[in-house]
Amino acid sequence: MSKKVLILIIAVVVVVALAAVYFTRTSAPEVAGGAKGFKIGIITGTVSQNEDEYRGAEAAIAKYPGLLKHVTYPDNFMQEQETYIAQITGLAADPEVKAIVVNQAVPGTIAAVRRVRETRPDMIFITGEPHEDPPLLEREVEVSLIPNQPARGKTIPQLAKEMGAKALLHYSFPRHMSYAQLAERRDLMKAECEKLGIEFVFVNAPDPMGEGGIPAAQQFILEDVPRQVAKYGKDIALFSTNCAMQEPLIAAAMKTGAIFPEQCCPSPTHGYPGALALEITDEIRGNFPAIMEAIDKKVVESGRAGRFATWPVATGYLHSLGGVEVAKLALEGKLDLNDIDAVAAVISEVAGTEIKMERLSNNGNFYMYIVDSHIFGK
Amino acid sequence: MNEPKITPQTLPEKTAGQVKTGKKFEGIMGELYVPLFFAVLCLLGIVAAGLNPRFLLNEIIIRLARNSFLVLSLIIPVIAGLGLNFGIVIGAMSGQAALIIITHLEIGGLPGFLLAALISVPFALITGYLTGLVLNRAKGREMVTGYILGFFANGVYQLIFLVLVGTLIPMSNPKMMLSSGIGLRNTIDLIAINKALDNALLSSVRLGAFKIPWATFLAIGLLCLFTSYFTKTKLGQQMRAVGQDRHIAAVSGINVDRIRLIAIMISTVLGAWGQLIYLQNIGTFNTYNSHEQVGMFSIAAILIGGASISKATIWNALVGVLLFHTLFVVSPLAGQRILGIPQVGEYFRSFLAYGIIAVALALHAWQTKKKAASREKE
Repeated sequence: MSKKVLILIIAVVVVVALAAVYFTRTSAPEVAGGAKGFKIGIITGTVSQNEDEYRGAEAAIAKYPGLLKHVTYPDNFMQEQETYIAQITGLAADPEVKAIVVNQAVPGTIAAVRRVRETRPDMIFITGEPHEDPPLLEREVEVSLIPNQPARGKTIPQLAKEMGAKALLHYSFPRHMSYAQLAERRDLMKAECEKLGIEFVFVNAPDPMGEGGIPAAQQFILEDVPRQVAKYGKDIALFSTNCAMQEPLIAAAMKTGAIFPEQCCPSPTHGYPGALALEITDEIRGNFPAIMEAIDKKVVESGRAGRFATWPVATGYLHSLGGVEVAKLALEGKLDLNDIDAVAAVISEVAGTEIKMERLSNNGNFYMYIVDSHIFGK
Repeated sequence: MNEPKITPQTLPEKTAGQVKTGKKFEGIMGELYVPLFFAVLCLLGIVAAGLNPRFLLNEIIIRLARNSFLVLSLIIPVIAGLGLNFGIVIGAMSGQAALIIITHLEIGGLPGFLLAALISVPFALITGYLTGLVLNRAKGREMVTGYILGFFANGVYQLIFLVLVGTLIPMSNPKMMLSSGIGLRNTIDLIAINKALDNALLSSVRLGAFKIPWATFLAIGLLCLFTSYFTKTKLGQQMRAVGQDRHIAAVSGINVDRIRLIAIMISTVLGAWGQLIYLQNIGTFNTYNSHEQVGMFSIAAILIGGASISKATIWNALVGVLLFHTLFVVSPLAGQRILGIPQVGEYFRSFLAYGIIAVALALHAWQTKKKAASREKE
């Protein structure tokens, strides 16, 4: 009896719901498609994961009103992959959307891209900071933008040495060490440290996606840095592969006097504002030279000049804004996505600083880039 | 507890029916509170999201096919009184181990999928047996024990595939392994068995505009038949007896621990197969994370379908998948449309998704209390 009632009720609900959808659909306010005849979908994290991507998307929307459809992926993207995939296929369900910028391309991107291609083979995908295996991903999407991780395996120890480091501490955890590029970078870093005569220290931190979540990981950093500084001395450079650990890492470096060469995703807005209690006012929002100057002032005031550095542009912000720019130019037929120099020129212009770009392999357009670091107080 | 003990053979549904005829309607309504509540939420969500109905229906069909098997695998432990089996995460890991083997051996298509199903059985039986042993030592606290066991098993799983593969376990496959030769990469491409089951039968027969994974639905149907047949067998009846009262069952000569072990082992094997069905549909798999998605969401789905920790039916599972995933599809867009800010959609969705689990449990507790109160009056 109860089963039949249940089925009946569900059936009624579904029918009514679909009817409701039909009636509301026509009256739904649609974003003006613009005169260009196409739209670009963009999917980013929310501000609780990494603010740069979201702000980059906002900046792109402000730059091209009506051109973009912005959605976000789950904060718990590792656990909620189905939702992530549905968000992307949802964007592709709009026939006007001709390109999708995915920033960051968290796990599930390959599955989502393949699903979209079943019905929309011509969709252009631009991915920022892809997490999945690069050789697999590069064959699936048109363009990937990512800091050159293997190259950073050399530049970070060199920078640390320049800043006076005698040891380099690398915080990570098994899940990240299963990312091919992060593992490769750690190995390169170790080799480069040996070459430069710096001691390389690997410390396992709790995984922020593990049972303790982000708070446990941050707590660990705050507690562990003073221990390591006591053991290796102040001239130890701190590095971590995880975004959530950057703020406690900078705060701990500030307190103990350790060296902080750059974040996992180098950016003036990643970790610095929170750790230094820097207020991002409306005047300096999105204005990276002004933000750099404000951090510089704080670092010098605290008497830590020469101990902190980063790239002068936020990679997450750049991937959103630059990704949209690249997608737009490609849709207008003004940019060949296979031409690495042309893409680098577009991204450099958005960044406002010069960018050196490299291709991973000839199987696709997996573009890895590097930007010169800026040491605060120098 | 002064009510007369129910004899082991009595089915729980009948006890609901035994309430006086005047209260029959109320009894049915009591069971339907939770699904009805969520049906209304779904309806509101669908109206608010204003989704393309074709996209919505397509998405629901995909998710029914993808998740039903996993959710159905939860039923048998509930009958045996073990509560909701968070241990299916361990089954999912067994399924993934089988997938890693067939991907390494490069066996694709339906034969590959079936072979994976076969290989996963011994893994699932062994891990299920071990899970059962632990749960038998934690009677009355099976759910939280199972939940924590999942974290423990995750550590073992990472140890095996990140450290032991390439060292203790000889394997060499540059496509699947990290460049250091130790450990697997974080993404495994399942293109060889992508949709192997979904497209195994009548793949060209469409239902209107929708592509239906006939073979997957057939597998789900068979599992439904198996589950309802199983509860009528001697073993199934013994499980019911154990589920209703361990002590009475033990007195009547049933080996309680053995019955509980069997229930968990069956559930673990079904969980492994469910994960195979899920992943063949997705098409790629995150070596170290795909299984984490399984336990929590399957359990949330069956709870929304009206199940409780002491009673679950096939209909609870199927209706639950339908409602839970409809909510998951519509809620991000509903949040975004109502409030006009993209990331609020995500917050709205996670508020709903996790709120759901809490509400379902609270409604169930409230009902149990009410039932107990009305019984005492009689």
